[in-house]
Amino acid sequence: MRVWLCLILSFLILLFGCKAKEDTIKIGVAAPLSGSIAKMGNDFKNGITIAVEEWNSKGGIKGKKIELLIEDDANDPKQAVTVANKLVNLGVTAVIGHFTSSCSMAASEVYHKANVPVINASSTNPQLTQRGHKNIFRICGRDDLQGMVAAMFINSQLNAKRVAIIHDKTTYGQGLADEFKKNIKPPAEVVYYGGITQGEKDFKSVLTTIKSLNPDVLYFGGIYPEGGLITRQARELGITASFISGDALTDVKFVEIAGERAAEGSYITFSPDFTKSDSAKAFLQKYKAKYGEPGPYSVYAYDAANIILKAISESPDTKGSSIIDTMRKSTFTGVLSQYRFDEKGDVTHMPYVVWKITGGKYIEYWKP
Amino acid sequence: MFIQQIINGLTLGSVYSLIALGYTMVYGILEFINFAHGEIYMIGAYLGIIFLTFFTAVGLTTSNIYLSLFLTMILTIAFCCAYGYLIERVGYRPLRYAPRLSPLISAIGISIFLQNFVMFTQGATDKVIRVEALDGFVSVWGINLSYLQVAILTVSFVVMIGLNLFVNKTKIGTAMRATAQDKIMASLVGIDINMIISLVFVVGAGLASVAGVMVAGYYGLVNYHIGYIAGLKAFTAAVLGGIGSIQGAMIGGLILGIVETLGSAYVSSDYKDVYAFLILIVVLLIKPTGLLGQRIEDKI
Repeated sequence: MRVWLCLILSFLILLFGCKAKEDTIKIGVAAPLSGSIAKMGNDFKNGITIAVEEWNSKGGIKGKKIELLIEDDANDPKQAVTVANKLVNLGVTAVIGHFTSSCSMAASEVYHKANVPVINASSTNPQLTQRGHKNIFRICGRDDLQGMVAAMFINSQLNAKRVAIIHDKTTYGQGLADEFKKNIKPPAEVVYYGGITQGEKDFKSVLTTIKSLNPDVLYFGGIYPEGGLITRQARELGITASFISGDALTDVKFVEIAGERAAEGSYITFSPDFTKSDSAKAFLQKYKAKYGEPGPYSVYAYDAANIILKAISESPDTKGSSIIDTMRKSTFTGVLSQYRFDEKGDVTHMPYVVWKITGGKYIEYWKP
Repeated sequence: MFIQQIINGLTLGSVYSLIALGYTMVYGILEFINFAHGEIYMIGAYLGIIFLTFFTAVGLTTSNIYLSLFLTMILTIAFCCAYGYLIERVGYRPLRYAPRLSPLISAIGISIFLQNFVMFTQGATDKVIRVEALDGFVSVWGINLSYLQVAILTVSFVVMIGLNLFVNKTKIGTAMRATAQDKIMASLVGIDINMIISLVFVVGAGLASVAGVMVAGYYGLVNYHIGYIAGLKAFTAAVLGGIGSIQGAMIGGLILGIVETLGSAYVSSDYKDVYAFLILIVVLLIKPTGLLGQRIEDKI
């Protein structure tokens, strides 16, 4: 008897538990909050939190408060799928994330099946929006554009002849490297192309081989821990080639790991410097007061959250299909720029320029 | 360039060797794999950074860099030895006569605990350290040897020779070998088995912490999960050399480092990890006990 009573009670509690939460709009956030790029994941999450707090202080959407369900995918595609299933089961209205391309690609199938709108702020692999998934939108650029800008830059500005390319075998890193390789024009030629393993610390054997090929440009497709170590070890071995890489190196940790001397003069493809605009200043002020120095994707996360929340508020109901329709039809004003989405779910503007590291600081250097 | 690659390989390999020794010594005595060993290496790297930062803050590094590095090393070894002792005391000794799977599970548990403990106390992000004074390198015949590479090679070889002498020439070393051969017999001739087993864990932890400190300085980058890959590679090295054999672990580590380096230099860097395991499989097919391992006769 007592057992039955307990069971019934616990079911009742569960029921009440569900009921109490019905009154919010649930937004899923998936980002790497632990692991080697946890810093970027947390910076990303903080940007979203600020946007949601702003909306909630204005009364939420359609009288409902917005509730964030934040999940850690640990930058592991397997974990990302688990997280995606969990968020879908919790009945989220929309998802912001994931952070890296590997995770976003793996998780996108789950969201696609459930027809949950996903807004992505940082995964740059072209494939993400190329598979006909109508529910996926992305506000950052794509690797094919990023690789193209890098290739244009080394052809026209550095007059490169011999190019060595390393990538980290991930969807993001190799995707970037492949697009870069494809867009290189003569007289520049690729003298080395090879992969390394994410999480490794020693790249001296690859770099010694590269040194013997005497390149004048070294391109790296990957993220900052390996990027920093590669730059540092390359300089230690006496490689003098210009170092150029993608947006995942726009983190001060890169300079720290590589050392200021080794990082000096490195080029990085990234979005234009937004900090000068007024709407950006307000965001940055708020961010710094709350969390300290923002990461490179904090502002993207902020824009992504605002776009999806605006779309939800404008759409007739909170069904996935109506939000998706609204996303495609509307124009959104964010901190970084005006956003319109094309058929695939990509933005319609050109999002990349080249930055240079000078005295340990990132400075916008060249516009294509 | 070939010689440069060999030196790169030796540097990598000597670190593997140092960690592998801990695996092999524990296996030699207890016949089980201490999966928490990689975490000791990771903790060593963290402690190295903590102590070095402390000595830099008090100004010792600028006034006397050698003393600062020496103290960092000694303190890290001391702390890691304590960790090694504690792990054995808490995690394995209560399970000494339990079925063989139990200490193995315990080891995995300790490994998970230590990783999360470090993540919790030190944060999930990468720790970066830079000692400007150690950044230079010497050039001999066109080969660039960084100061830290020289240091790693010298320290590991000195430590390994020291360990060999300790195990083969001292009384305690003899007791260790006796315990490895037959625990009951050794206890009958008056050897304190528990003390010897603790000692093996302490020495193993000390060696791993030496590797940890040097790696932290060499790559300048530490996070809480570096113990996993390093532990796996070192374990491979120990099996390759013949698990249970001390010289085997040293040679296994060096071979592993060189094979990985040459493979990724001359074949393709994409398959760096494959070469290591390929050579492991080949060696095990030809000689199942590893290069220097001996077949353990079933004890009656």
